[in-house]
Amino acid sequence: MKPDISEAVPDPGDHHPDGATRASESTLTAEASSRTLLSDALRRLRRNKLAIVALVWIAIMVAVAVTADLWVPQTLGDPIKIDTTKVVGLSLNPPSLAHPFGRDDLGRDILSRVIYGARVSLAVGVIATAISVMLGLIMGALAAYYGGLADSFVMRLTDVFLAFPYILFAIALMAVLGRGFLNIFIAIGLLGWPTIARVFRSSILQVKENEYVDAARALGAGDLRIMTRHILPNAVAPIIVYATMSIGGAILTEAALSFLGMGILPPTPAWGLMLAEGRGFIYNAPHLMIFPGLAILTTVLGFVLLGDGLRDALDVKMKD
Amino acid sequence: MTHLLEVAGLKTHFFTQDGVVRAVDGVTFTLDAGQTLGVVGESGSGKSVTALSIMGLIPAAQGRVVEGDIRFKGDSVVGMTEDQMRAIRGNRIAMIFQDPMTSLNPVFRVGVQIAESLRVHKGMSKADANQRAVELLDLVGIPHPSERARDYPHQFSGGMRQRAMIAMALACDPDILIADEPTTALDVTIQAQIIDLMMSLQDRTGSAIVMITHDLGVVADIADNVLVMYAGHPAELGAADEVFYKPQHPYTWGLLDSLPRHDVTDKTELCPIKGQPPSLVNVPSGCPFHPRCPYVKEVCRTMVPQLRDIEGGHMSACHFSGEPGFTRTEMACAGVSS
Amino acid sequence: MLKYIVRRVLQMVPVFLGVTILLFVLTVVIPGDPIAMRMGERNMTDAQRASIRKALGLDKPLYQQYGDYLVRLSKGDLGESSRARRPVLSIFADLYPNTIRLALAAIVIEIIIGIGAGIISAIKRYSFMDVLVTLSTSILVSLPVFWLGLMMQLLFGIKFKEWGLPYLPVVNMTSDQFPPWAHMIMPSIVLASVSTAYVARIMRSQLLEVMNQDYIRTAQAKGLSPSAVIWKHGLKNAMIPVVTFIGLDLGAMMSGAILTETVFNWPGIGYMVYQSILQRDWPVVMGGVIIIVFVVMIINLLVDISYAFLDPRIRYGAESS
Repeated sequence: MKPDISEAVPDPGDHHPDGATRASESTLTAEASSRTLLSDALRRLRRNKLAIVALVWIAIMVAVAVTADLWVPQTLGDPIKIDTTKVVGLSLNPPSLAHPFGRDDLGRDILSRVIYGARVSLAVGVIATAISVMLGLIMGALAAYYGGLADSFVMRLTDVFLAFPYILFAIALMAVLGRGFLNIFIAIGLLGWPTIARVFRSSILQVKENEYVDAARALGAGDLRIMTRHILPNAVAPIIVYATMSIGGAILTEAALSFLGMGILPPTPAWGLMLAEGRGFIYNAPHLMIFPGLAILTTVLGFVLLGDGLRDALDVKMKD
Repeated sequence: MTHLLEVAGLKTHFFTQDGVVRAVDGVTFTLDAGQTLGVVGESGSGKSVTALSIMGLIPAAQGRVVEGDIRFKGDSVVGMTEDQMRAIRGNRIAMIFQDPMTSLNPVFRVGVQIAESLRVHKGMSKADANQRAVELLDLVGIPHPSERARDYPHQFSGGMRQRAMIAMALACDPDILIADEPTTALDVTIQAQIIDLMMSLQDRTGSAIVMITHDLGVVADIADNVLVMYAGHPAELGAADEVFYKPQHPYTWGLLDSLPRHDVTDKTELCPIKGQPPSLVNVPSGCPFHPRCPYVKEVCRTMVPQLRDIEGGHMSACHFSGEPGFTRTEMACAGVSS
Repeated sequence: MLKYIVRRVLQMVPVFLGVTILLFVLTVVIPGDPIAMRMGERNMTDAQRASIRKALGLDKPLYQQYGDYLVRLSKGDLGESSRARRPVLSIFADLYPNTIRLALAAIVIEIIIGIGAGIISAIKRYSFMDVLVTLSTSILVSLPVFWLGLMMQLLFGIKFKEWGLPYLPVVNMTSDQFPPWAHMIMPSIVLASVSTAYVARIMRSQLLEVMNQDYIRTAQAKGLSPSAVIWKHGLKNAMIPVVTFIGLDLGAMMSGAILTETVFNWPGIGYMVYQSILQRDWPVVMGGVIIIVFVVMIINLLVDISYAFLDPRIRYGAESS
């Protein structure tokens, strides 16, 4: 790596007009030196209105999805069970006051199904991302910390994974594993690790250059201790940002897989599945497709905007 | 008499979320043809902002000249339109920047970048401008200039890049060359070469030079006049010999005391100025230097000292300069070692 | 430069081998009868099965099977579709032009709208246009592309027709009613949507970053006009990552747009692979993936080489970090 020449220049503050701003910032932080990095980041996040709206929206969705059993079937109707006696009269009802999103071809309330679908999407988003992050952290740490052969092996492995067309890989994995809830976690989780591993590897390599890591080693700290005490906390910001964004990505992938018939099994209400089922009614009942799609869009948008906000707040440099 | 460049009471402020940054706050000096002015001060003293103000390169979104005047050959630069300013910029007044590693565009050939100002200001054809660029590279001491003109900046060493920057700045035979810390980013051995080059080119072209530096040593050898700046304010202004041998301002005393000197053989330790330069958002009341000044008195805390003539054009912005008995003592160092 | 290309090609070899191993492992672990998988579902006696096993080399140890597989690959033998009874290679040779046509149309949209929006948004930072671009790119990257496709079909195909407005064909690549280009409009927009948003974002952030560089101030100090500073000194630097992204995206599109092609019944390679997975036509899936990975890698190689041509720091062998 090329040494950054700007750090070797002793007098950059006076150089650019920005220098004036920089000088004032440094005095401001000096005045409040007790302020931690975290609260600093939180303060910046609070100033980002879009990110706050996104956070509130995600919180509402989580709350609704978690409490759904308590009130949704009672007020809107069961998301799965079909009332065979009434199907004919109720099927494909357009949105109404009692059923704001309308009913599907089997007479089920679409809002109820969208709410239960949120459970699937949020679970897939969070758990698949957690799997990717765990795998990515382990692989990235192995590569960056031990270097040499371990590094080239892991990096070539990420190359192989990334050489596969993503959605095709996901479909193929689902074909191997079989459709279903658990396999979705595994397939999407397996696909996400290479990027996390690369992000983590490069941030470790940056942190490793720092002197306090050498100092810790000189004091006799072991590999694991150095990794968990010194490197992980400093490499965590890009991981948080990346994980937040990839929750949205995982939700999109699950929706695509379910839409293609390679994901969640019916009759479980999943947004992608609802879109696939609603496709046949595009001419006479488009509301079957409009609402699940809006649910995907707003959920993913929430995580994307929150990720953007976190990136700015934590000052993480990323390729867009 | 009209001076080549006249800066009078210049105030350039930046407007940030945290408040108004008074980067330059009342700077005054003049520059005549063929002269060299050294502008000396610590980081954040407003040296570079002064230079950018002269060039008209203060980003409008961030700040502007709020007061005072800059006159080039008698014409006020501050009121000029962007088009008028552009005709001067790079043509009559040129500038060299601190870091030659980042100041050249990595995706254009060095020769093309030098030829660019010739094409803009002199309306030269591509071929003529490129030919002239080769001559200029030769002039600044680049070996094999016709081949090197086709190189990209990353193929040049740091010293060569700064030579190329100088060639670029001198392309249009400017009246004034502003050099903003031109040697700071370079190896010590290269620094002297670059300064020598600039001086010999000045002899040849007769350009006036504004040499901005935090290094008094550089200025001592080459400047006709010296301006010492502190926190956006002028501290002392005068002929180089006067400023070095009869300094009037306590800040200049501090600067000179913190300089290693080879002509002093006794064991006096280096004596840095204690404390830090102030934030430019909250400049201290009265004399901006008073919190760090070992000679501070009550009046310094309340009244801003104006730059005034002490003796034959040698000016100082200290309330007590020129008073009998107000001289440099060992007080400053005593404060540090205790 | 030649050294760079050779090194880059050599780097591809292990990756490609890794892909073949991964695919081979997939064929082994895929649940179901390997003979049925390769020969299609047919009723056979045990003796027939055994002879087929032998003929296919399935009785050999795995590493030998993999070796045979590599040998067949190197001869360009990718197997035969168990449904269509056609060589996989010729199936994909027939379908690739459809995918390429769609991809090129999408790239044109990306370049014009993505780069344009990114530049406007960077130059007029914090303006209404900038906010609009930033918000709409966030929405675009959050949109499920297949839903965007369905909604466009609903609006421009079905509703516009109902309202008596000029409307677009909903599905397929050709029809008697519409010229071929009309069939391309919606699929190419849908395919371009996400990438256009990324191009705009990258363009914006790159241009903003470049405009803060020292060499931009040098250009200003030379007395260049603001437009010369932006369009010449700014854009040439900012474009390098954008062009790279577009190139890589073209590569990604060569893997077929499964979702777009499915929504619009567009007979491209992605649609083909997807249909083959649904029909358990494994030779087509495996052969298709190999072809796709190979094509994508070649395009990425070309992108890397052109990147080196765009950036003299790489072209003339400066060490890159």
